[in-house]
Parts: sequence; C-alpha cells; structure tokens
Amino acid sequence: MDKRIKILQDEDSYLDIQKERKVTLVEVLDRVLDKGVVISGDIVISVADVDLIYLGLKVLVSSVETMERLRGAPMAGAQEEPT
Amino acid sequence: MEAAEKNLIYLYCVTKKAPKLKGVGNLVDELYFVYHLGLYAVVSKVKESEFSEENLKKNLANLEWVKDRVTVHEEVIEGIMKNSDVVPFKFATIFSNADNLKAMMDKHLEDFKTNLRNLKNKEEWGVKIYCDIERLKGTVIHEESGILKIEKEINSSSSGKAYFLKKKKEELMKEAVNKRINEYGQESFELFKILSYEARINKLLPKEVTEKEDDMVLNSAFLVDKDKVSEFIHAVDDLKTRYNDKGLNLDCTGPWPPYNFCNLSKGKEQSG
Repeated sequence: MDKRIKILQDEDSYLDIQKERKVTLVEVLDRVLDKGVVISGDIVISVADVDLIYLGLKVLVSSVETMERLRGAPMAGAQEEPT
Repeated sequence: MEAAEKNLIYLYCVTKKAPKLKGVGNLVDELYFVYHLGLYAVVSKVKESEFSEENLKKNLANLEWVKDRVTVHEEVIEGIMKNSDVVPFKFATIFSNADNLKAMMDKHLEDFKTNLRNLKNKEEWGVKIYCDIERLKGTVIHEESGILKIEKEINSSSSGKAYFLKKKKEELMKEAVNKRINEYGQESFELFKILSYEARINKLLPKEVTEKEDDMVLNSAFLVDKDKVSEFIHAVDDLKTRYNDKGLNLDCTGPWPPYNFCNLSKGKEQSG
C-alpha cells in the first residue's frame, strides 16, 4: 500500500506493474469509503454516511468545499453520461 | 456458561461467476459465498463487537482500525476481480443474517444483472491531476498581457499606488490561474472520456488527505474497455508530458474494482 502505480510507456513493463499493483491508502479510502454500492432497507445496520469525516478529519470537509469554490463553476461535461 | 458472540455478515461484492476464494485477502475470518438466484455474494463473518452499529461508529474513529479493515476490503475485492466481474460494495456493508442478505439480492436482482452486463470486459481507471500553483503562475504571467502591464506600472509607481496595483495584479493572477486549471481539467477529462465507456468527476481531496505538496485539481474515474486500456494509458502519458512544464501532474491508477460505476436502484417494491 505504499507505492503508486506508474504509467510506463513500455507495454510489457506496464503489464508487470499491473500484476504487482500497489496503491496508496488515500486512493483506496477515496473509493472504498466514498463509492461502492450503498444499500438500505433490509439490512439491520446501514452505514450510509461513512466518510472521511469519521477519520477524525472533520475539518477537511470544509477544505474540500473551499477548493471546489476556488476551482470555480463545475466543469461542462461533468455529467454522468455514457459515451 | 458463556454465550458465543453473535456474528454478522460482511458483504464485499457480488459476482455472476462462481468466485475463486482460495488465497484471497488476508482474513482472520474465513471468506465464503452465499449463492442466491444465480448470483454469488462474497462475504465473511465478522464480530458484533467490531461491526455492530454502535461499535462500528467507535471503530471508524480509529484510523489504524479503518486502515486495516479498508485494506482487507480492497484486497478481497481485488482478489475476486481476478477471475470474475464484481459489483463492489461500500466499506462495512453488514447484514445480521443470510436471510436478509438474500432478501437484498432478491430485491435488487435486476440491478445486479444490469450492472454486471454493463461491466463486462471493462475496467475502472482513476486519473487525478495535481497542480503546483506557483509553477503555473510562473507560466501564466508570461501569457497574460494584462498582468505584465500592471507589473511594469508597479515598478514605476509611488508606494501607495503600487499597493493597489499589486492587489489588482493578485486578483488577475488568481483569475487567470483558475481559468487555466478549469481549462486543463476540462481538456483532460474530455479527452479521457472519449476513450472510455463511462466517466465520472469526483470531489477533490484536500492536501491534508492526499499528503501531497500540490493541489488536487481533478479527481476523475473512467470505465474503460479492456482492449482500450493501453490506448487510455498512453493518452494519459502524452498529456502528462504536455502538461509537465505547466506545473500539472497526472496520476493514473488502476484497474480498480468498479466502485464508481455500479449502483442499485431502490429495487422492486416489496409485496406484503
């Protein structure tokens, strides 16, 4: 979990890297806590709001918002449409 | 006599093909699957002392615990992914018993089928773009005649006037930098989107989380046809070279479980 996969120009080495793929914890957290299928209803326990907030980093959420403002309006074409 | 602690069921992912569980993940509890209606739910038993709603909330505040469990979650799904397409669930999706799990599979059967059809022969790849703002400013200043003009004026102005001109210059600079970041972000996203089946833009992560010196300016995910993956990666690489002197750095990771490209609707109405 400490090495980020690098993009290589060489096709063969790319495949090698892919096999020993390692990524940072942040990359994993960004997906596992924020994405993935969420269900509700029949389950007894639903943790719908697992977020980076729970990592004791509550203050960070406001930084995210600040940055999004800094970046300006949402990008055109950011819609979730298949091409 | 001591009552045995109650177990809960932790769901990692759902597959259509029988999952190969041997050697997958580094689990204390054994990984197994629940077969229902032509689908396999990959699960393990977890302890109530760790995953009951109350205990889970406590544990989520413990970074070490989260780190270990999130790693297990990812490793299990990646292991299963080697042999079958997966619908990956969010961290800590817990059921109290197998009947409830089956009821969920029943309810979302069509959604699972749709998702799995959609994912066939595709991989999720992530592209994050980071920006060294100071370096980008260095490029921008030479391209913006307005800023250059003000800079000249500052040099030949009284200190009072120079103060206001500097303010003005900073404003223009900020505007120009934001404009560039938007343009580059959009250009990249559009380019990668063309090479992929589906695309998403996710929220930006702050430096405290990324632990990088540069600011994240794009966080995106793409569902790419397996036979287009190398083309996709080359496109990222080309852009990386083109953007290098602008202070932008592209970070491409994958293949990931398709966390960004699966969803279940509310499911069919429960009768009775």
